[in-house]
Amino acid sequence: MIGAASVVLQSGLLPEGLNVSFKIAPAILVLGMLLLFLAIGFVFRVADTEDMWVAGRSIGNVENGMAIGANWMSAASYLGMAALIALSGFYGLAFVVGWTTGYFILLIFMAAQLRRFGKYTAPDFVGDRFNSDAARAIAAITTFLIGFVYSIGQARGMGLVGLYIFGDIGLPGLTGYQSMVVFMMAITVGYLTISGMLGATKNMAVQYVILISAFILGLYVVGFTQGYSTLLPQLEYGTLISQLGAEFSEPFTSGSYYLWIATCFSLIVGTCGLPHVLVRFYTVESERTARWSTVWGLFFICLLYWSAPAFAAFGTDLFSENIGAVYGDPGMSSAAGDVIVVLAAQLAELPQWFVGLVAAGGIAAAIATVAGLFIAGSSAISHDIYTNIVNPDATQRQQVLVGRLSIVLLGLLTTLAALNPAAPIAALVSYAFSLAGSVLFPMFFLGMWWENTNREGALAGMLTGLTIWTIPMINEVLPTYVGAEGPFVPVLAQWVPAIGSALIAVPIVFAVTIVVSMMTDEPDLETKQIVRQCHSPEPMTRQQTAEDVVTDGGQTPSDD
Amino acid sequence: MPDNNNHNSTEKRTATDGGVAGQPGQAHRDTDYLNAEVNLLKPSTLFMRDHLRVVWTGFAIWFVIVFGPVTLTRFAPGLMTSQVPGIGFPLHYFLVAFAAPTGALILSFWYARKRDALDRKYGIEHTTAEETGRGGETAVTDGGERTEGGDDE
Repeated sequence: MIGAASVVLQSGLLPEGLNVSFKIAPAILVLGMLLLFLAIGFVFRVADTEDMWVAGRSIGNVENGMAIGANWMSAASYLGMAALIALSGFYGLAFVVGWTTGYFILLIFMAAQLRRFGKYTAPDFVGDRFNSDAARAIAAITTFLIGFVYSIGQARGMGLVGLYIFGDIGLPGLTGYQSMVVFMMAITVGYLTISGMLGATKNMAVQYVILISAFILGLYVVGFTQGYSTLLPQLEYGTLISQLGAEFSEPFTSGSYYLWIATCFSLIVGTCGLPHVLVRFYTVESERTARWSTVWGLFFICLLYWSAPAFAAFGTDLFSENIGAVYGDPGMSSAAGDVIVVLAAQLAELPQWFVGLVAAGGIAAAIATVAGLFIAGSSAISHDIYTNIVNPDATQRQQVLVGRLSIVLLGLLTTLAALNPAAPIAALVSYAFSLAGSVLFPMFFLGMWWENTNREGALAGMLTGLTIWTIPMINEVLPTYVGAEGPFVPVLAQWVPAIGSALIAVPIVFAVTIVVSMMTDEPDLETKQIVRQCHSPEPMTRQQTAEDVVTDGGQTPSDD
Repeated sequence: MPDNNNHNSTEKRTATDGGVAGQPGQAHRDTDYLNAEVNLLKPSTLFMRDHLRVVWTGFAIWFVIVFGPVTLTRFAPGLMTSQVPGIGFPLHYFLVAFAAPTGALILSFWYARKRDALDRKYGIEHTTAEETGRGGETAVTDGGERTEGGDDE
């Protein structure tokens, strides 16, 4: 077995070296932060669907940029990326590149067009663009699945970091790690069911500030006190690299060139297909805001992504000095890797409250992302499946209720799966990226840029994408749950790795969608016109969607 | 000139750009976007041709930034892993970990600027975005008034 999965073997879920005990100052910090989130969620609580899903389309440039950043920077960025860089060296950088540069593709090909399309959710786009409830349902199920898979990584992150702060709270029948997962997920779900998207968007700006300052402050203080760096740790760690062992920087030792490209590609197309990322463009006031908030968002994201490799380098050095060899056997476990950011602060012998601050940032990151994912997942259920397919006459009250129930359901499923996770945080998250890239990205891209893409093409394409994603998941990820050794078919795992299956899937899905679309009837004129309206440079009003413009022939929207 | 097309919207449009738009602005006013095919490979309007030129230029640079360094590292490992004087990084590490994200950020900024410039060139104003900051002209902006080709027939 090759690649990340082999580098970061699962060896228990108690990170070695981490000081697991209840600590009062960090606990107050985290609980205070959670209370703040709940309070913000409460102040901005919502009762109607427009607010719940797209925050009344009221969000501006910088605020949306921060929300993009917070929504985006999950435990996988805050914790998982430094872990992969520390453990898998150069291969880990595929994540840095994939998770930042993808935003440019999103910006040039999709952000403004999506804003002009102007619906509520990602499945909405698929359903309305291809005039098909079946397509809508597949997209909604995919969205739900993405939220689920993605959140497992977040729950793992919260569980591990929570251990530092709260120690082993020992729920009956569960290990310390598992108890913490249950505890943290309960809090997340609680706040989400109360607040919905408006609260979540307001929260995300706050969460962004908390997580970025905790991360960067942590990096500076660790670098400064340990004598690694002064003003620009993001560049100064370069001189440290040669001391960290060949595994840290040597290319292709822990992942082949092919795996690197496959992973990076999957993360890029995944970025452009993730429903909770796409929905951020529905919440802004205009298409120009959609564009500039993407630039802002990428800047906010880069702040962390420039810093993560530096944190990994410091953490790796501190680990090898204080605990033991990072590489080789036994080496650093994946659990320790996943908390390397917190470990670095702890090993630098910084005050407890400060380490707690760094840990709290990780929790903020995880909660912000779970919030976005659960909103996307639950609106897929309540808006796309329940309201559009099952019960078209649903009242707003019923819709919001179904939305909340599906958040609870997602929370339960995620908690269960996270009790014994199959892989480290970043790997878990990248499975969701492969899925989004294989199934949703081609639909958005072709649907937006080739008006002749039709219903049959979309259905065939999405089913192909789902199939290609599922095969390596069964091949590689299932074995870890049923206790088998390695993947069922090693050759398949080499060429279609679960972590980067979109490299194979995307071209095939494109081809299938195009060929099937060409063999069947063209979409009707109205659908084509909606697509054209998405590309027209003519400004639209805040509440308008492309469909409104086409159907009412451009009459004033004042009738609503 | 305006009177040769059958939209009823020309008067309103001339008002919004104050006549500074010139040729592209005129082309924009004469274009019926709802009847112009959308195809990534075959741009059908002047605006989209201009826009796609920016998009493809950016995409080409992006592609090199993202996949260039790692591919070079694969084929010329000796050269790429040599240390960069001064900052101590191995070259491949620096290009991937720092230059690629930074490059994407700069490109994004460049694209957003270019796209704003295109709007100016075509005399398009996004008044909804900054309603309060502008002068009184914004009162008439509501895009819904603009008749799109729906009433041509």
